[in-house]
Amino acid sequence: MTPLADTAEPGGQRPGLWAWALLAPLLLWLFLLVIVPTAIMVAFSFCKRDALGQVVFEFTTENYARIADVQQAKGLLISAAVGLSAAAGVWGVRRRVGLSGSTWPMLTLLGLFWVTLNICVLLSGGEVDAARWLKITVVSINYAAAATAVCVALGYPVAYFIGRSPERWRNLLLMAVMVPFWTSFLVRTYAWVTILRRNGVLESLLSWTHLHDGPLDLYPSQTGVMIGLIYTYLPFMILPIYASVERLDNALVEAALDLGASPMRAFRGVVLPLTKPGIIAGVVLVFVPAVGMFAVNDILGGRQEMLIGNVIERQFTAARDKPFGSAMGMVLLMLFIATYALSMRRRSAAS
Amino acid sequence: MSIFKKLVAAAVGAVAFVSPAMAEELNLFAWSEYVPQTVLEGFQKETGIKVNYETYASNEEMLAKLLAGGGKYDLIQPSEYTIEALIADAKLEKLDHTKLPNLKNLDPAFAKMAHDPGNKYSCPWMSGTVGIVYNSEAVKTPIKGFKDVFNGSHAGKIVALDDGREIVSWVLGTQGRDINDMSDANLATVKPIMAGWLKQIKLFDSDSPKTALLAGDVDIGVVWSGEGAILLAKEPNKFKWVLPVEGTHRFIDSLAIPKGSTRVEAAHKFMNYILKPEVSKLISDEFPYTNPNVEARKLLDEAARTNAASYPPEGAKLGLFNDIGKRSSVIDELYTNLKSQ
Repeated sequence: MTPLADTAEPGGQRPGLWAWALLAPLLLWLFLLVIVPTAIMVAFSFCKRDALGQVVFEFTTENYARIADVQQAKGLLISAAVGLSAAAGVWGVRRRVGLSGSTWPMLTLLGLFWVTLNICVLLSGGEVDAARWLKITVVSINYAAAATAVCVALGYPVAYFIGRSPERWRNLLLMAVMVPFWTSFLVRTYAWVTILRRNGVLESLLSWTHLHDGPLDLYPSQTGVMIGLIYTYLPFMILPIYASVERLDNALVEAALDLGASPMRAFRGVVLPLTKPGIIAGVVLVFVPAVGMFAVNDILGGRQEMLIGNVIERQFTAARDKPFGSAMGMVLLMLFIATYALSMRRRSAAS
Repeated sequence: MSIFKKLVAAAVGAVAFVSPAMAEELNLFAWSEYVPQTVLEGFQKETGIKVNYETYASNEEMLAKLLAGGGKYDLIQPSEYTIEALIADAKLEKLDHTKLPNLKNLDPAFAKMAHDPGNKYSCPWMSGTVGIVYNSEAVKTPIKGFKDVFNGSHAGKIVALDDGREIVSWVLGTQGRDINDMSDANLATVKPIMAGWLKQIKLFDSDSPKTALLAGDVDIGVVWSGEGAILLAKEPNKFKWVLPVEGTHRFIDSLAIPKGSTRVEAAHKFMNYILKPEVSKLISDEFPYTNPNVEARKLLDEAARTNAASYPPEGAKLGLFNDIGKRSSVIDELYTNLKSQ
């Protein structure tokens, strides 16, 4: 299912010199823009700094200690404990009823953990002394998750429609999805300011059509940030889903319908499972960058609220603390790797 | 020869081919909305040196890029406290005053500043203050200082600079404390007041806060004086400028040459060029801050010379910033925590 699996086909040859030559640009790119920066970040995260914010190469773990604040650790532990026991309970009940599926315990666990964490963060609100990294991370993930969910809801029907439309229309529609990429992302985000601001395009349109009069207060606002996130990442959801819809064999859907399945049942039983890889790819493509996104929040949110991307960015500028910023980046990276590893394990266990 | 080496050789060759060796260049790293295009073009016309203008929105952003840049920049435009820090860390080239005869045009007061006495390392560009500008059509209560802005009745209608240090200094001013004292005791006093203030701010913008005021997104701004002066010049009946009675931050932005620049000669030429009265006037025309160049001030028209935001009255309560070094991260953590309450 994964591209890796394709290349490792039985009987496949070891790549020859030419293959390496063709791969060289990609490998160089990966090395220079992924491996090297990550290595630098790891090194910085264990360093000290001077008054100007320059990295001083002296070993320390204080940056990580600062992230793992005691009070936050408490919240994390409570949520983990509650999440675990609740998930175990749910799993036990399901097993007894005979519903055990391999994906459910993991999802329930994650979901409950997340809900508890949110409640803990909410309850700890109000006091300023505790460092807020955990809260900010939770809020950022909430934002990204909400944006991802909306992108799936909006993107799936669009991708399905494009994938099922006649071939001569398909390229045109795909082009329409990609047209925004012709303009810089920042320019497009600033355009949203013009649309959302007081007496802006949206308000004028609404009052002209007599749908709504008066200020909507969308700029700057957290709703504006949400709109910006969804707008930015929607194409990254549509494209992978489209790819899996396009490959979908129509005969399978017809077979399901012929065998008496309702359209809804055919969708749930045939279409959805077959396009699931596209959805998963889309979710990863949207969720991961959305967690770290800071520009949309800066431009459309008026910088009222900080997301984890903003906090990390500020360590490299306003705070003059590159080592701490690097440590935070590393923790976030580890979080992604762990989530990814979990989801891969789940998938390989399922297949 | 491996493929890798060949590729690298090809890439290096391509870069060498593309970069023009003909025109002399100068890499200027300066604040956004601070250097008029006309000045850059005029300089190129006179000297043949092409200026590449790259911008930043805070001293810290400049520091981060400068110190990571490996000698890419030939001229930077730091504020007083950053000049102090850069001099202390031996990061600036000493200026050759024999190449800067136009320094004589400057107000002598600018050579007596604590961060760089005698302008040995920096050449003043513009000075300014942080003050309050409000839309008098929307705001009917009197505004005299920070306390009037943040008394709660203007909540959600305020734009302020996105700068933790600035806001901390405003609060310290209202408490009658030293705006440069970032001690734990002072920050403990600041914290609850600042928490209340931040909630009332609708938009944080250090780049161009005037835009939100002009568009009507907000009614009051705590902004750089040059931004206020532009609003006053555009709509003198609508916008009013107030220097906070509690006192406020006065900044001095100067040109300086970072160590490692390979074009020190050209950098001096640029400094001397902008010190010409007629050139300095062009800067004032577009970005009406307090011009330290007294000869240039004489060339300004009456309205510009008497703009309340550009030229604060004698004896106004103004204070320069000192460098706070590592305390920056403490201020940033405070600012971040308060914003995400």
